[in-house]
Amino acid sequence: MRRLTFVTASRLDPAALCRAVASPRHGALASFVGTVRAVHAGRRVKAVSYDCFVPLAEKELARIAAAAEKRWPVRVAVAHRTGRLKVGEASVAIAAGSGHRAEAFEACRFVIEEIKRRVPVWKKEHYDKGDGRWLAGCALHRSRP
Amino acid sequence: MKRKIELYGRLRDAGLGSSVVIDAPKPATARQALSLLKSAFGPKAALLAGCVLATDDEVLSSSDELPSGRLALLPPVCGG
Repeated sequence: MRRLTFVTASRLDPAALCRAVASPRHGALASFVGTVRAVHAGRRVKAVSYDCFVPLAEKELARIAAAAEKRWPVRVAVAHRTGRLKVGEASVAIAAGSGHRAEAFEACRFVIEEIKRRVPVWKKEHYDKGDGRWLAGCALHRSRP
Repeated sequence: MKRKIELYGRLRDAGLGSSVVIDAPKPATARQALSLLKSAFGPKAALLAGCVLATDDEVLSSSDELPSGRLALLPPVCGG
Protein backbone atom coordinates (compact mmCIF):
# COMPACT_ATOMS: atom_id res chain seq x y z
CA MET A 1 0.00 0.00 0.00
CA ARG A 2 1.52 3.29 -1.15
CA ARG A 3 -0.13 5.65 1.39
CA LEU A 4 -1.65 5.00 4.80
CA THR A 5 -4.21 7.84 4.62
CA PHE A 6 -6.23 8.48 1.48
CA VAL A 7 -9.55 9.16 -0.24
CA THR A 8 -10.59 6.84 -3.05
CA ALA A 9 -13.41 6.19 -5.50
CA SER A 10 -12.54 2.49 -5.43
CA ARG A 11 -13.89 -0.21 -3.12
CA LEU A 12 -12.18 -0.12 0.29
CA ASP A 13 -10.00 -3.01 1.43
CA PRO A 14 -9.94 -3.04 5.25
CA ALA A 15 -7.70 -6.12 5.30
CA ALA A 16 -5.08 -4.23 3.30
CA LEU A 17 -5.18 -1.38 5.82
CA CYS A 18 -4.68 -3.90 8.64
CA ARG A 19 -1.72 -5.46 6.84
CA ALA A 20 -0.22 -2.00 6.34
CA VAL A 21 -0.08 -1.26 10.07
CA ALA A 22 0.73 -4.78 11.30
CA SER A 23 4.09 -5.39 12.95
CA PRO A 24 5.75 -8.26 14.83
CA ARG A 25 6.16 -5.75 17.67
CA HIS A 26 2.38 -5.38 17.95
CA GLY A 27 0.11 -7.50 20.09
CA ALA A 28 -3.08 -5.81 18.91
CA LEU A 29 -4.67 -4.89 15.61
CA ALA A 30 -8.04 -3.11 15.77
CA SER A 31 -10.17 -1.94 12.87
CA PHE A 32 -13.33 0.04 12.32
CA VAL A 33 -15.38 -0.09 9.13
CA GLY A 34 -18.29 2.27 8.54
CA THR A 35 -20.93 0.92 6.15
CA VAL A 36 -24.04 2.20 4.38
CA ARG A 37 -27.15 1.32 6.37
CA ALA A 38 -30.47 0.30 4.83
CA VAL A 39 -32.69 2.42 7.08
CA HIS A 40 -32.06 5.88 8.49
CA ALA A 41 -34.49 8.09 10.40
CA GLY A 42 -37.34 5.83 9.33
CA ARG A 43 -36.52 6.01 5.60
CA ARG A 44 -35.47 3.04 3.46
CA VAL A 45 -32.10 3.88 1.97
CA LYS A 46 -31.08 2.50 -1.43
CA ALA A 47 -27.65 4.12 -1.64
CA VAL A 48 -25.54 6.98 -0.32
CA SER A 49 -23.46 9.37 -2.44
CA TYR A 50 -20.27 10.66 -0.84
CA ASP A 51 -18.98 14.04 -2.01
CA CYS A 52 -15.53 15.21 -0.93
CA PHE A 53 -13.10 18.10 -1.26
CA VAL A 54 -10.27 15.66 -1.80
CA PRO A 55 -7.07 17.70 -1.34
CA LEU A 56 -8.10 19.06 2.06
CA ALA A 57 -9.73 15.78 3.10
CA GLU A 58 -6.51 13.84 2.50
CA LYS A 59 -4.52 16.38 4.48
CA GLU A 60 -6.99 16.18 7.37
CA LEU A 61 -6.89 12.36 7.35
CA ALA A 62 -3.09 12.53 7.57
CA ARG A 63 -3.29 15.09 10.40
CA ILE A 64 -5.79 12.94 12.31
CA ALA A 65 -3.65 9.82 11.93
CA ALA A 66 -0.59 11.77 13.07
CA ALA A 67 -2.51 13.08 16.10
CA ALA A 68 -3.53 9.54 17.05
CA GLU A 69 0.05 8.31 16.67
CA LYS A 70 1.26 11.16 18.87
CA ARG A 71 -1.34 10.42 21.55
CA TRP A 72 -0.96 6.63 21.65
CA PRO A 73 1.84 4.22 20.67
CA VAL A 74 -0.04 3.11 17.53
CA ARG A 75 0.35 2.92 13.78
CA VAL A 76 -2.77 4.11 11.96
CA ALA A 77 -4.12 3.70 8.41
CA VAL A 78 -7.39 5.24 7.23
CA ALA A 79 -9.27 5.45 3.93
CA HIS A 80 -12.54 7.17 2.96
CA ARG A 81 -14.72 6.43 -0.06
CA THR A 82 -16.28 8.81 -2.53
CA GLY A 83 -19.02 8.19 -5.08
CA ARG A 84 -22.33 6.34 -4.89
CA LEU A 85 -22.30 3.38 -2.49
CA LYS A 86 -24.91 0.65 -2.13
CA VAL A 87 -26.26 -0.59 1.20
CA GLY A 88 -23.60 -2.62 3.00
CA GLU A 89 -20.64 -1.10 1.19
CA ALA A 90 -17.79 0.30 3.30
CA SER A 91 -17.59 4.09 3.36
CA VAL A 92 -14.67 4.44 5.74
CA ALA A 93 -12.06 2.02 7.06
CA ILE A 94 -9.58 2.51 9.90
CA ALA A 95 -6.85 0.20 11.17
CA ALA A 96 -4.68 0.68 14.25
CA GLY A 97 -1.82 -1.56 15.25
CA SER A 98 -0.27 -1.32 18.69
CA GLY A 99 1.43 -3.16 21.48
CA HIS A 100 -1.80 -3.66 23.43
CA ARG A 101 -5.55 -3.63 22.70
CA ALA A 102 -6.58 -0.55 24.70
CA GLU A 103 -4.69 1.98 22.60
CA ALA A 104 -5.67 0.27 19.34
CA PHE A 105 -9.39 0.52 20.22
CA GLU A 106 -9.02 4.08 21.49
CA ALA A 107 -7.16 5.19 18.39
CA CYS A 108 -9.85 3.79 16.08
CA ARG A 109 -12.56 5.58 18.06
CA PHE A 110 -10.58 8.83 18.04
CA VAL A 111 -10.01 8.68 14.29
CA ILE A 112 -13.67 8.09 13.34
CA GLU A 113 -14.89 10.83 15.69
CA GLU A 114 -12.36 13.30 14.26
CA ILE A 115 -13.34 12.35 10.70
CA LYS A 116 -16.96 13.20 11.45
CA ARG A 117 -15.92 16.52 12.96
CA ARG A 118 -13.34 17.87 10.52
CA VAL A 119 -12.91 15.99 7.24
CA PRO A 120 -14.68 17.69 4.28
CA VAL A 121 -16.98 14.86 3.24
CA TRP A 122 -20.75 15.05 2.67
CA LYS A 123 -23.32 12.34 2.16
CA LYS A 124 -26.59 12.32 0.31
CA GLU A 125 -28.99 9.51 1.03
CA HIS A 126 -31.03 8.10 -1.85
CA TYR A 127 -34.37 6.63 -0.77
CA ASP A 128 -36.53 3.86 -2.21
CA LYS A 129 -39.17 6.41 -3.29
CA GLY A 130 -36.64 8.04 -5.62
CA ASP A 131 -35.98 11.17 -3.58
CA GLY A 132 -32.79 12.07 -1.73
CA ARG A 133 -31.44 14.28 1.02
CA TRP A 134 -28.06 15.72 2.03
CA LEU A 135 -27.50 14.92 5.70
CA ALA A 136 -26.91 17.65 8.26
CA GLY A 137 -23.40 17.89 9.63
CA CYS A 138 -20.80 19.63 11.71
CA ALA A 139 -19.62 23.14 10.74
CA LEU A 140 -15.90 23.38 10.03
CA HIS A 141 -13.55 25.77 11.81
CA ARG A 142 -9.98 26.76 11.17
CA SER A 143 -7.82 24.27 13.07
CA ARG A 144 -4.55 26.21 13.24
CA PRO A 145 -4.01 28.55 16.23
CA MET B 1 -10.60 40.29 -9.33
CA LYS B 2 -12.55 37.24 -10.53
CA ARG B 3 -12.29 34.25 -8.18
CA LYS B 4 -13.74 30.83 -8.87
CA ILE B 5 -15.25 29.14 -5.79
CA GLU B 6 -15.90 25.40 -5.91
CA LEU B 7 -19.15 24.12 -4.38
CA TYR B 8 -19.60 20.88 -2.43
CA GLY B 9 -22.28 18.83 -0.72
CA ARG B 10 -25.73 20.43 -0.50
CA LEU B 11 -24.41 23.49 -2.36
CA ARG B 12 -24.32 21.40 -5.53
CA ASP B 13 -28.14 21.40 -5.45
CA ALA B 14 -28.38 25.20 -5.50
CA GLY B 15 -28.75 25.19 -9.26
CA LEU B 16 -25.46 27.06 -9.69
CA GLY B 17 -23.38 24.15 -10.98
CA SER B 18 -20.16 22.94 -9.42
CA SER B 19 -18.66 26.42 -8.94
CA VAL B 20 -19.47 30.13 -8.88
CA VAL B 21 -17.36 33.13 -9.85
CA ILE B 22 -17.28 36.23 -7.66
CA ASP B 23 -15.67 39.57 -8.36
CA ALA B 24 -13.69 40.20 -5.17
CA PRO B 25 -11.49 43.17 -4.32
CA LYS B 26 -7.79 42.46 -3.92
CA PRO B 27 -6.98 41.94 -1.15
CA ALA B 28 -10.25 40.52 0.17
CA THR B 29 -11.04 38.64 3.36
CA ALA B 30 -13.01 35.42 3.58
CA ARG B 31 -15.79 37.44 5.23
CA GLN B 32 -16.01 39.73 2.19
CA ALA B 33 -16.02 36.74 -0.14
CA LEU B 34 -18.85 35.11 1.83
CA SER B 35 -20.86 38.29 1.55
CA LEU B 36 -20.38 38.29 -2.22
CA LEU B 37 -21.35 34.63 -2.31
CA LYS B 38 -24.58 35.47 -0.47
CA SER B 39 -25.48 37.76 -3.32
CA ALA B 40 -24.51 35.15 -5.90
CA PHE B 41 -26.77 32.57 -4.24
CA GLY B 42 -29.72 35.00 -4.17
CA PRO B 43 -32.88 33.21 -2.99
CA LYS B 44 -30.79 30.12 -2.13
CA ALA B 45 -28.57 32.09 0.29
CA ALA B 46 -29.95 30.10 3.25
CA LEU B 47 -27.80 27.21 1.99
CA LEU B 48 -24.75 29.20 3.12
CA ALA B 49 -25.55 28.75 6.83
CA GLY B 50 -22.55 27.15 8.52
CA CYS B 51 -20.41 27.28 5.36
CA VAL B 52 -16.72 28.19 5.36
CA LEU B 53 -14.15 28.91 2.69
CA ALA B 54 -11.12 26.66 2.41
CA THR B 55 -7.97 26.12 0.41
CA ASP B 56 -6.38 22.79 -0.49
CA ASP B 57 -4.60 22.97 2.83
CA GLU B 58 -6.84 24.57 5.45
CA VAL B 59 -10.12 26.14 6.45
CA LEU B 60 -10.05 29.95 6.40
CA SER B 61 -11.29 32.06 9.28
CA SER B 62 -13.48 35.03 8.37
CA SER B 63 -10.63 37.50 8.86
CA ASP B 64 -8.14 35.58 6.70
CA GLU B 65 -7.15 37.17 3.43
CA LEU B 66 -8.08 35.11 0.38
CA PRO B 67 -4.91 33.39 -0.79
CA SER B 68 -4.19 32.70 -4.43
CA GLY B 69 -4.99 29.25 -5.74
CA ARG B 70 -7.92 26.90 -5.38
CA LEU B 71 -10.85 27.98 -3.16
CA ALA B 72 -13.80 25.88 -2.03
CA LEU B 73 -17.01 26.66 -0.18
CA LEU B 74 -17.69 23.90 2.35
CA PRO B 75 -20.99 23.25 4.14
CA PRO B 76 -21.09 21.43 7.51
CA VAL B 77 -19.45 18.02 7.10
CA CYS B 78 -20.78 14.51 7.80
CA GLY B 79 -18.24 11.96 6.72
CA GLY B 80 -17.81 8.42 7.97
